Amino acid sequence: MSHQLPEHPDWLWRTPDPKRSYDVIIVGAGGHGLATAYYLARNHGITNVAVLERGWLAGGNMARNTTIIRSNYLCEESAALYEHALKLWEVLPQELEYDFLFSQRGVLNLAHTLQDVREGTRRVNANRLGGVDAEWLDADQVRAFCPIVNTSPDVRYPVLGATLQPRAGIAKHDHVAWALARKADQYGVDLIQGCEVTGFLREGDRVVGVRTSRGPISAGRVALAAAGHSSVLADLAGLRLPVQSHPLQALVSELLEPVHPTVVMSNHVHVYVSQAHKGELVMGAGVDSYNGYGQRGSFHQIEHQMAAALELFPIFARAHVLRTWGGIVDVTPDASPIIGPTPIENLYLNCGWGTGGFKATPASGWVYAHTIATGEPHPLNAPFALERFTTGALIDEHGAAAVAH
Amino acid sequence: MLLIACPWCGERDELEFHYGGQAHVAYPADPEGLSDAEWGEYLFVRDNPKGPFAERWSHAAGCRRWFNVVRHTVTHQILASQSNHPVAAGQPKPVIA
Amino acid sequence: MTADTQRRSPLGHLADVLAAHSTGGERGVRLREVPFLAQLDLQLHPHGPAAERIATALGSPLPTEPNTVTEPGSLQVVWLGPQEWLVLGPDGSGSATAELLRAALTDEPGSVVDVSANRTTLELSGPAARQVLEKGCSLDLHPRAFGPGRCAQTLLGKVQVILHQVDAEPTYRLLVRGSFAQYLTDWLLDAMEEYRHPRLTP
Ligand SMILES: Cc1cc2nc3c(=O)[nH]c(=O)nc-3n(C[C@H](O)[C@H](O)[C@H](O)COP(=O)(O)OP(=O)(O)OC[C@H]3O[C@@H](n4cnc5c(N)ncnc54)[C@H](O)[C@@H]3O)c2cc1C
Ligand SMILES: [Zn+2]
Repeated sequence: MSHQLPEHPDWLWRTPDPKRSYDVIIVGAGGHGLATAYYLARNHGITNVAVLERGWLAGGNMARNTTIIRSNYLCEESAALYEHALKLWEVLPQELEYDFLFSQRGVLNLAHTLQDVREGTRRVNANRLGGVDAEWLDADQVRAFCPIVNTSPDVRYPVLGATLQPRAGIAKHDHVAWALARKADQYGVDLIQGCEVTGFLREGDRVVGVRTSRGPISAGRVALAAAGHSSVLADLAGLRLPVQSHPLQALVSELLEPVHPTVVMSNHVHVYVSQAHKGELVMGAGVDSYNGYGQRGSFHQIEHQMAAALELFPIFARAHVLRTWGGIVDVTPDASPIIGPTPIENLYLNCGWGTGGFKATPASGWVYAHTIATGEPHPLNAPFALERFTTGALIDEHGAAAVAH
Repeated sequence: MLLIACPWCGERDELEFHYGGQAHVAYPADPEGLSDAEWGEYLFVRDNPKGPFAERWSHAAGCRRWFNVVRHTVTHQILASQSNHPVAAGQPKPVIA
Repeated sequence: MTADTQRRSPLGHLADVLAAHSTGGERGVRLREVPFLAQLDLQLHPHGPAAERIATALGSPLPTEPNTVTEPGSLQVVWLGPQEWLVLGPDGSGSATAELLRAALTDEPGSVVDVSANRTTLELSGPAARQVLEKGCSLDLHPRAFGPGRCAQTLLGKVQVILHQVDAEPTYRLLVRGSFAQYLTDWLLDAMEEYRHPRLTP
């Protein structure tokens, strides 16, 4: 495409040994952990911070996702949070001085049934009332916007229309992580890879540090950002989470000429497809039904997803699968994340982003940093507290998040 | 693709099965007596271990019976499979090693 | 009898097509619909007194080994589950068999339900029949693992079927829900296609 790809970067951050103590320890150097470290420094001046990562930086879901960014969620609480993220995405390349190929090429959510149409138009209306850009396209407008979608009426699930969020799009996920890591490092944050958190140091009810594969480290506050492994860590602290970890897979084709101008998602046929800057078609599958920590899913999910892609895009018939992979996504009962303090003093929680947390990376970091720095949730994440599973004030996004992405 | 042993039909392809989540979660004996926190816990919170997990599957495209499996959530190795069906009384219970 | 003159089997309109696609010879395979079999779903405890009375009435015990079939007289009793069977009989035999079973069940816990309209039956037979099924069924159908008198509920070409091997030729019967019958038939005809042509030799 028109963009030149950046060179593979040199070392963008130091490789420090862990200090004996930090003001804040963040567990997990995925997008959310890195964004949290960045905003702790930038917004709150807290820089005596370590991000501990058991593997390598962005080796989890951060560089395994299909990079779809959008904010057209149904509930006010979610739209506000994801829209905050979208606004941050719009300024971050400049602020981080790193072109991570954020491309606002629009996202279509196709409707194939009357129910889809109702859900879609309802969401467009809700989004507009909430100040989120949203349009409803009929089938002809879908064809005009994305000519390769099969909009003929005689297919199994004809396209009846679509929601369009013009400001939505994609970004290059590994570069986002590197951009955040470099800035956090410049602020003085220690990014420590190959350092697994294996337990918590406690003083009475309070958490005062972590046990790691590289020895104990004390901390004023400990903030979890471990995505698929959140339950495992919470278990170590004696906390049970309403989260289940599932395999989620994606795949890419070989590099192709530019054919796909936007991002297309379909709840009903169940696939989501974009074309990356380099030229590969990027497609996401559904979650496997069972719990899994193996970072691989079942083959029939891939088969199903390719069948769905072909149904929507007959032009893909001769593309090849170059590579498939899986991540571990942390799914909550209402398809919304959990961000906030925990019943354990000094222990903070950010998890449950399931199949859709990449798009939220900057806002997640922003509000989580606020929560850690002040001990109180930011207004944007207050509704996403763990307590909602006791009060019943769920934020049901199963519609807007029906297709994993 | 998992190969799951239905206690009745033997090993079958994962595609024939429906997943039912954690096993041995009993309906509260006295739902009215639960606090909001306990009720929320019953509704929303399930174990999510990295390792052996006792879970329920139904042989949906086969004999349509529910049964319990102990599966390792990293390797997917199936460590035990057993039915709670009255006709199956006397079968060995699965143990988490 | 108006019901009988108006009734349609899900694949009735394809009888000629199925015949035309069937082939003989050493790699032959034949497909036909066996419409309107009487089908009764029977549920009861397999070891209770009612099971014994039914065994006496039918002249043969209900199969308790999973995935096996017994053939008392003109009926076939297909194991569906630890306390569930499908009793198949010729067209028109349903009410009489249901009465017999209900009388034997008396008021013990259990049920006899006529489900004849649920599925139609496809019969696939001939030397290549097993190979045709193997294209879309993950079960081991080799004689070492599966043979006459065995049945299975499984997926064939993604469609749920009750599969029953009738004889060693082999002949298989596939019970498929009416709304999936056309799809499964198309799938089978496609899978059978290669056997209409001479074997390719290298
Ligand atoms: C195939 C796939 C497609 C997706 N597509 C999209 C999409 O299109 N759009 C979208 O918005 N979202 C998408 N997502 C979801 C998104 O990727 C996640 O919600 C998001 O990345 C989670 O946040 P994270 O980046 O911080 O997670 P991760 O990158 O997984 O970070 C968690 C880190 O914690 C580390 N960790 C775990 N345990 C420990 C420990 N004990 N000690 C130290 N470190 C530990 C892990 O190694 C990992 O690096 C997708 C996910 C997958 C798998
Ligand atoms: Zn079974």
